[in-house]
Amino acid sequence: MADNLKLQVKDLTISFRTTQGMVRAVRGISFDLYEGETLAIVGESGSGKSVTSKAIMGILEGNAVINSGEIIYENQDLTEIDEENFHRIRGDKIGMIFQDPMSSLNPIMRIGKQITEGMLINGNHLLERSKRKYQAEKQNYINAKKYKKELKIKYKESKLELKNDKQSADFDKGLEELKSKYKQDLNDVHKNIQEKKSIYKQRKAEAKKEVKAEWQKTKSEYTKELEKLKEQYKNAKSKETKATKEEYNRKAQESFNKEKDRIQKRISELKERYKVSDNKTRILIKNEIRNTKEAFKQFKYEHKRKSFGSESQQLQNAIKQKREEMLRERKVTKRQAYERAVKVMSEVGIPEPEKRMRQYPFQFSGGMRQRIVIAIALTANPDLLICDEPTTALDVTIQSQILELIKALKNERSLSVIFITHDLGVVANMADRIAVMYAGKIVEIGSYKDIFYNPKHPYTWALLSSVPDLDSKERLISIPGTPPNMLFPPKGDAFAERNAYAMKVDFDHQPPYFKVDEGHYAATWLLHENAPKVELPDQLKKRINKAKKSSPKEREVI
Amino acid sequence: MATEQSPILSVRNLKTHFKSGVGRNKLVVKAVDGVSFDIKKGEVFGLVGESGCGKTTTGRTIMRLYTPTDGEVYFKGKRITAGIEGPKNEIADVKADYKDQVKLLQDEHSEKGSNESVKKELDSKIEALKKERNEKIDKLKADIVKRKDDGRKDVKDKEVKELLKKMQMIFQDPVASLNPRMTVKEIIAEGLRIGGEKDNKVIKEKVEKVLETVGLLPEHATRYPHEFSGGQRQRIGVARALVINPEMIIADEPISALDVSIQAQVINLLNDLRDELGLTILFIAHDLSVVQYFSDRIAVMYFGKLVELTTSEELFKNPLHPYTRSLLSAVPVPDPDFEKTRKRIKYDPSMHDYSEDKPELHEIKKGHFIYANKKELEEYKKQLVE
Repeated sequence: MADNLKLQVKDLTISFRTTQGMVRAVRGISFDLYEGETLAIVGESGSGKSVTSKAIMGILEGNAVINSGEIIYENQDLTEIDEENFHRIRGDKIGMIFQDPMSSLNPIMRIGKQITEGMLINGNHLLERSKRKYQAEKQNYINAKKYKKELKIKYKESKLELKNDKQSADFDKGLEELKSKYKQDLNDVHKNIQEKKSIYKQRKAEAKKEVKAEWQKTKSEYTKELEKLKEQYKNAKSKETKATKEEYNRKAQESFNKEKDRIQKRISELKERYKVSDNKTRILIKNEIRNTKEAFKQFKYEHKRKSFGSESQQLQNAIKQKREEMLRERKVTKRQAYERAVKVMSEVGIPEPEKRMRQYPFQFSGGMRQRIVIAIALTANPDLLICDEPTTALDVTIQSQILELIKALKNERSLSVIFITHDLGVVANMADRIAVMYAGKIVEIGSYKDIFYNPKHPYTWALLSSVPDLDSKERLISIPGTPPNMLFPPKGDAFAERNAYAMKVDFDHQPPYFKVDEGHYAATWLLHENAPKVELPDQLKKRINKAKKSSPKEREVI
Repeated sequence: MATEQSPILSVRNLKTHFKSGVGRNKLVVKAVDGVSFDIKKGEVFGLVGESGCGKTTTGRTIMRLYTPTDGEVYFKGKRITAGIEGPKNEIADVKADYKDQVKLLQDEHSEKGSNESVKKELDSKIEALKKERNEKIDKLKADIVKRKDDGRKDVKDKEVKELLKKMQMIFQDPVASLNPRMTVKEIIAEGLRIGGEKDNKVIKEKVEKVLETVGLLPEHATRYPHEFSGGQRQRIGVARALVINPEMIIADEPISALDVSIQAQVINLLNDLRDELGLTILFIAHDLSVVQYFSDRIAVMYFGKLVELTTSEELFKNPLHPYTRSLLSAVPVPDPDFEKTRKRIKYDPSMHDYSEDKPELHEIKKGHFIYANKKELEEYKKQLVE
């Protein structure tokens, strides 16, 4: 399976600088995400699940510090990439759906503009192409600069070390040595940086030139074709007499008039009916009239574009199209963006996308708004989608619609999905694999079957049994207390304080990952060979047994 | 479990409409449109529906935070709020009726001819009708005045005033519903002080006792809300409601803003309180699994109307209304094998044909009410499972 690994997070640690000190939000988590798979991250608020997703998107807050770890996507480490290069990954390759659809849409901007905005901004093909050409050189230059920083830190550290055993007689000598070595190293590094910089600058200029030359070539091809078309157009126009032109126009006008008459007749008919009908049907008729008018407008527009088709005019249109094509080689045109937006909107199930494009977010219902957020994420054709509690702000009925939609899109486009939520019901529906997070650590990870039917960590037990079951009325097992303050992360297992099964070792030592099964790991001392045997809570055991015993159909409530 | 006795709260044909705009732009939102139910003492009554269906409006109207458009709310046998639209419409009806009858009489008499005696007879008959009409209108007008009086914000009747203290509310968002500049003690004691309690010693005692009841410590009283976690904040909200010794609590989505593990804490707390204090609870939520777990009876609401009302066991055994079915099929269940294969049911309100046969709330089985017309009722009866 290793060949279709999409994303790899290795030992990621993230803290936030605050006035009280460092808040350790994420403390060394690792997971893999494979192609076409949904990984659900479950946990309470403050467990660091959103921070993880933000780190992958590169949108951490300003006071966040990535202490260590790597996020490997397409052979590059996302934690090392600078902002400029992240643009090409964020949104383009990794899409994100946020929690609250109302606050993630701009209330004073039409939907159409919001959907096409990203495409238009990122749509300069020439710039992209040249950037791709000098990317390797740029990365080298950045790495060289980074090495300088590391050197500095190393020097400081070794200086401190020396200072710490000051008693030693050769302190001064050692320091002298260190300094001189550092200076030399620094010199080398500087030279290296200068070299890399010049290479990078040179390559950049070259790449720009190359791309420009390529563009000139395609452009000249297009201009040639355009010239040809223009010639034809001139010829056609000169041949065209007044009579033929009129003939064309007359025909077109006739067909137009026919449609116009039909529509007018229909409307007057409806108006007659409106007069005699009661209030309820009146609304329907009003709508009908509006729709017919709208349809007629559409027809008028189409007609103008198509049917006034004398030869010269057709050629004129062809010229226009060619020009548009030429532009498309250089950048994403507005029309192209519009077409794509319409396509994506109908894909996510928004009816009448052309009409909806002109509306504002407040004119949409909650579910529709979330669909638009999804559409915006999809326009760039990402292959990795991060959903950060996409349905928490929605009703159950709408929630199920949105979940179905995400599932369908995932299958259609073979997306990899990271799904963040605290609702275990939703997880059961969506996930292939599940990672349970608590206090910045993954406490248990495994396939959905492992987590739901063979959970090993007491926190997973607690989470599973705190959800009310549709067919039992037993007292819920609640988790006492609250999550620990991450300003002072506990020394041992973070969950020990709230854990009814905690042992002495839990308070002093962090548990390592114990392998339960292939791909199923849990970080709890209960799995150690010396630990006492602990049974699952009764309620949970009953529930799991029942789920295992009965086939899904028997359990169907309705 | 609730026994057969007179209800503690009864809601009769409650309507709350919100009006906006004038003339062409006039818009009437019928948030609650004819809702009736009884809640027995000691019972937990769940009110479910999607957002915008009017469940919160119902709760707030019962709490007298909104003035109802029509209908009445009785709490412990006393009317605590009422709308005036009903009698208003009745007056109009009476007037129209009178006009029709007069016209009828006039037509009758004009056939008989136009001599003096006939005219006198006609006049006397009209006079009688007029008297009857005026009596009716006076009665209705008096009713309106009384209803208006019942719905007033500043309650004059001392008995009602005492009664209203017996009904308290728990709000959805514990962060937004607690004043950040007041200590927990001040927040909890505010209701007591408004109720006329002046003795600081008594207040302190009561606050500490109620804090203990909801599982907090007395030393928490001097802290501010921001020092607490979500679950503890909701406990403060519960304590604030409990300190007045209410008999009934209206809980408006008390757990939907909380984390899963903390949700269980609050549900368990409410469950314990209900057993210990014998509270009656109107539980408003959109999550059916929680409501089912917690409630004795459940009413399902859809666009201002109750579509189904029955005991929670019955609702899950025999969901009849298609909307209830669609709600049930949308509840996520933490069991992946089941969840990944189940079919969702979509509810389309245009499936009902109510153009001729008007729907009503029918009792299809003892204690099981459903909103349907006669034709549908027959179909639902066939679907009933014993």
